[in-house]
Amino acid sequence: MELFKPEFGLVFWMFVAFLCLYFILAKYAWPFIIKSMEERADMIDKGVAYAQQAKSQLDNAKAEADKIIAEARADQADKLREAEAMKTQLIENARAEAIVEAKKVTDAAQVSIEQMRKESEKQLKQEVSEIALNIAEKVIRTKMASDAAQQELVAKLLQEVETNN
Amino acid sequence: MKKVLNITIVIAILALMAWGYAGAAHHSAHASQKGLDPKEIIFSHLGDAYGWEVPFSHSVRIPLPIIVIGSDGLNVFMSNRVTGGDTYNGYKIATDGDYKDKVVQVVNGQQVRPWDFSITKNAAGIMIAALVVIALAMWIRKWYKKNGMKAPRGGAGLLELVVEFVYFDTIRPIMGKDAPKYGPYLLTAFFFILTMNLLGLVVIFPGGANLTGNLAVTMVLALCTFAITNLTGTKHYWKEILWPDVPIALKCPVPMMPLIEFLGIFTKPLALMVRLFANMLGGHMVVIVLILLTFIFTNMYGVGVGAATSVVSVALALFMLVLDTLISFIQAYVFTLLSTIFISMAHVHEEEPKLEKK
Repeated sequence: MELFKPEFGLVFWMFVAFLCLYFILAKYAWPFIIKSMEERADMIDKGVAYAQQAKSQLDNAKAEADKIIAEARADQADKLREAEAMKTQLIENARAEAIVEAKKVTDAAQVSIEQMRKESEKQLKQEVSEIALNIAEKVIRTKMASDAAQQELVAKLLQEVETNN
Repeated sequence: MKKVLNITIVIAILALMAWGYAGAAHHSAHASQKGLDPKEIIFSHLGDAYGWEVPFSHSVRIPLPIIVIGSDGLNVFMSNRVTGGDTYNGYKIATDGDYKDKVVQVVNGQQVRPWDFSITKNAAGIMIAALVVIALAMWIRKWYKKNGMKAPRGGAGLLELVVEFVYFDTIRPIMGKDAPKYGPYLLTAFFFILTMNLLGLVVIFPGGANLTGNLAVTMVLALCTFAITNLTGTKHYWKEILWPDVPIALKCPVPMMPLIEFLGIFTKPLALMVRLFANMLGGHMVVIVLILLTFIFTNMYGVGVGAATSVVSVALALFMLVLDTLISFIQAYVFTLLSTIFISMAHVHEEEPKLEKK
């Protein structure tokens, strides 16, 4: 039966064809196709991993942002409160300082007023005494025209001085 | 629109069947004179031939080159010079004897078989199949060059699916690190067998040759696996065969286990060869027999019964052809899978016990 007897020519051509096919495909096709498929599979895997990572990061980012905002709010409130406190403190301090300063200024003014008063008093006294002396001089000049009167007065003044001391 | 198309197709099929049946009735009228010989018809369809039949004609054939080395040296001529029963340069196709239907040289009235390297129908079919595989592989290679990392669509997706199934899901898990070395051979074998199987199911010119249902073809494929298995086998592989890990009594006075293991070297590729051959041959044979039933019944019970049979025959043959399409894939896959297992079994190392577990 022909079917069960391998024909030599057919074996030969089959062998040649299969060998040629193998060498062509093994050189040009399979390694390239397998490499391309592997590369793409890798890329898809990486892409999926990356997307997942990005998604989780995004989710985290939202939570983080919320956290930061909450923190900032709390901070803001704190800061406001602090500022308020500081403001009152400052005002208080300023007021106290102003009072102290004002007092100082008034004291100084009082002192200088006192001084001026004393000075003017002194001056006034001097002036008054000068005027008095002048007047007295004039009076005396007119009154003491005579030696007797002069002597009487001197004696009187000396007596006065004595009694005063 | 679709309905109209469907109806047209059905009418066309019925017309073809009627035509075919007319031809069949004519054929069987002839046959009833000579006597219908189903066995002859079946084997002439499954066997090899010089020249390629064209549809609806039994005598017109596409000529193919005949290359023979006889006592007078190399002779190359087209097959149409001898297929009509003529003699050319002392060569003719034997009509009887040991070399029936083969090219023989007539020397002193004796038929002598020359070295026959003819591009017969099967050899041409093998080359067509090889070219188809190369074209497909080059096309997908070009596709990758052009589209790179894009998702494959259409034909590229289909081919990639098959490569994925055969290489990434079968060869690589079994072979591990050896996969890139033997993968190209196994993939080539798979696609070549698959293409030959499918081409064998196409009834007109580029197909129709019963390639994988021919022992010569499957023998070469099995021999390649056999050669790779044994030429690249590790020391441990040969140790397993010549001195396996069994009780001494089984191998020392009478080398029973080594003998069995040694026979195993040859039975494995033999099983590969016969499995593919028998499956494909069987599929083709069933289709031919189902179609032949029409002729046989017409011969026995007349035209009416034959006509009724033709409907059943065609339906069953169609079913068988669809089944054969599935078998084509399964057998190509089984051949590749078993080759993978045989080759990987020849690469066992003692320090890799997990390979044996698989």
